[in-house]
Amino acid sequence: MENGVSLFDNDTLNNEVSTISESSLQNEESHSSEDDFAYIENGFIVDVSDSRKISDVIYQLSSVLDLPEAQEKQVCIKLGSIDLNSAQVSSIKALVETMNSEIAFISTTSDITEASAKEINVKVSKIENKIVTPSFDNSKEGSAELEKALDKIFGGVSSEAQKLKNKISQFAKSSISKTSENNTESDIISSSHLSDISSSINDGIGTEVDDFKQYDDLNKELAEANRVADLEEEKLLEELKEKMILTEKLPTLYIQRTLRSGQSITADGNIVIVGDVNPGSEIKAVGDITVWGILGGIAHAGIEGNRFAKIRALSMNAIQLRIADVFARRPDGDNIPYIQKSDTYVPEVASVDGNNIIIHKMINK
Amino acid sequence: MTGRVIVITSGKGGVGKTTTNANIGTALARAGKKVVMIDTDLGLRNLDLLLGLENRIVYTIVDVVEERCKLKQALVKDKKNPNLCLLAAAQTRDKSAVTQEQLKDICEQLKEDYDFILVDCPAGIEQGFQNAVAGASEAIVVTTPEMSAVRDADRIIGLLEAKEEIKSYRLLINRVRPNLVKTNDMMSVDDVVEILSAKLIGIIPEDTGIITSTNKGEPIVNDEKSLAGRAYKNVAQRILGEEVPYLDLEAETSMVTKVKKFFAGLIGKEKQ
Repeated sequence: MENGVSLFDNDTLNNEVSTISESSLQNEESHSSEDDFAYIENGFIVDVSDSRKISDVIYQLSSVLDLPEAQEKQVCIKLGSIDLNSAQVSSIKALVETMNSEIAFISTTSDITEASAKEINVKVSKIENKIVTPSFDNSKEGSAELEKALDKIFGGVSSEAQKLKNKISQFAKSSISKTSENNTESDIISSSHLSDISSSINDGIGTEVDDFKQYDDLNKELAEANRVADLEEEKLLEELKEKMILTEKLPTLYIQRTLRSGQSITADGNIVIVGDVNPGSEIKAVGDITVWGILGGIAHAGIEGNRFAKIRALSMNAIQLRIADVFARRPDGDNIPYIQKSDTYVPEVASVDGNNIIIHKMINK
Repeated sequence: MTGRVIVITSGKGGVGKTTTNANIGTALARAGKKVVMIDTDLGLRNLDLLLGLENRIVYTIVDVVEERCKLKQALVKDKKNPNLCLLAAAQTRDKSAVTQEQLKDICEQLKEDYDFILVDCPAGIEQGFQNAVAGASEAIVVTTPEMSAVRDADRIIGLLEAKEEIKSYRLLINRVRPNLVKTNDMMSVDDVVEILSAKLIGIIPEDTGIITSTNKGEPIVNDEKSLAGRAYKNVAQRILGEEVPYLDLEAETSMVTKVKKFFAGLIGKEKQ
């Protein structure tokens, strides 16, 4: 039964954001039963049972507790088999308290953790058996599939139990109410058949466990896929941030002459040109391009894909501007091959916005 | 479809190869033919400017040769005429970036999809010229009625005749000034044809409109009123095999000068 519940937990509780309200609902539903299983009102369960290290626990906990919904609530932490000493448990407690929440109780399968929790007056309880039959909202996406899976599991259990009951009743040859519990049945069974019965029960449970394992694996895979997707997104964001910082750290090529037609400059870093860049010339830079003069040629900043790269010039008259993979060309019509001279220059900056290059005039800034 | 590959060459610089290329190409495209122009003047490209396509060039012939892009990607479509394409030269490279075989190969590929492939040849008789001529089977030799240009054209014709691939060549005389010819200050068309003993394909008068059209990036054939534009249109028609009489430049220009003189006289009278 433990495995079966952990399957459910993995699916609902591990996906922290979406399921907080759901799980707390379930708690309220089911807290009418036994006393030795604690329940929480106005709270939620955080399942960190797949963590193998204290750092994982802290990381997962803090990411959940950071959510606005998680503020000022009772928290139940499902720890799994991890062994923690009292200092580590108290640090978890402190973490929860800094987030304006409170630990209602923790759940663990490890004796060491249990002992150390009791040392610092943290309530230890079992929550696994508490969730009996979860109710599902059919309108929710994907829940139908899960329900089907659960039907198979729980339906399978009940039919298996039914079979066992039938067997038991045959052995006992006595009239037993079919609705009664297995435990009460076994009291009545005669001792001579006890071993047979227990072995057959074990067999039944064994197949159930296999079933659960199968779904457990599936859900673990799902969770893993979700985690990988999140990680990738994070990685992308970090990469972009890194690129922004990197541009600053890149070496800069400093050129103090006019670039004429046919001349081409490629740099591994930024380029600063004091002078004009005439039509027909080409500048390519991994970082930014700054022209202290009239930019009339082709400028390509961020050639290695940095969309944060910028092109600056005292006067922007470029035939083409390219930043990373974004491309812009001078509009047709004012296709005059010579540079338009003017007395005053308005510096301009070209940068990427979405999939377009936008040129800003630097006025009153 | 097997297209005709025509190289436009001159030997001497500044006689109007590129202008001729842009105008004949545009005229042929306007006549409904599929035309692609290849600029082989690597490092000194101008054809894109004359067509006003400079801002659209992303890939050049060097990118095609060095396999950074496909041939079709490098073809720049004209703004107005979808039949017209340009394969631009690289500005930042020199003539050695492309070999004769590579250009021949490009011409062969383009032949399948286009009626006309016009190759714009660089000035000189070195590698650039050899490259441009490599893929062509016809040639148009552009010259002006000046001794130096005629001399260079003679040299070029000699080189073209030595090439087996060039099946035929025609002469185009550019920048003819009928007034100067009349006063014996300029060689006449007949003189040039006699010296070069080549078949004529067109006579283009000197036209100030060429300067503005070059700066605008708009070939002069698009201007119906221009005399040079009409002359270029006639050249295109002759390339297509039509019999078109040569423009009577003397009559045309004298008419214009007559009108000008008339108005000048009127203004002069008013001033008096």
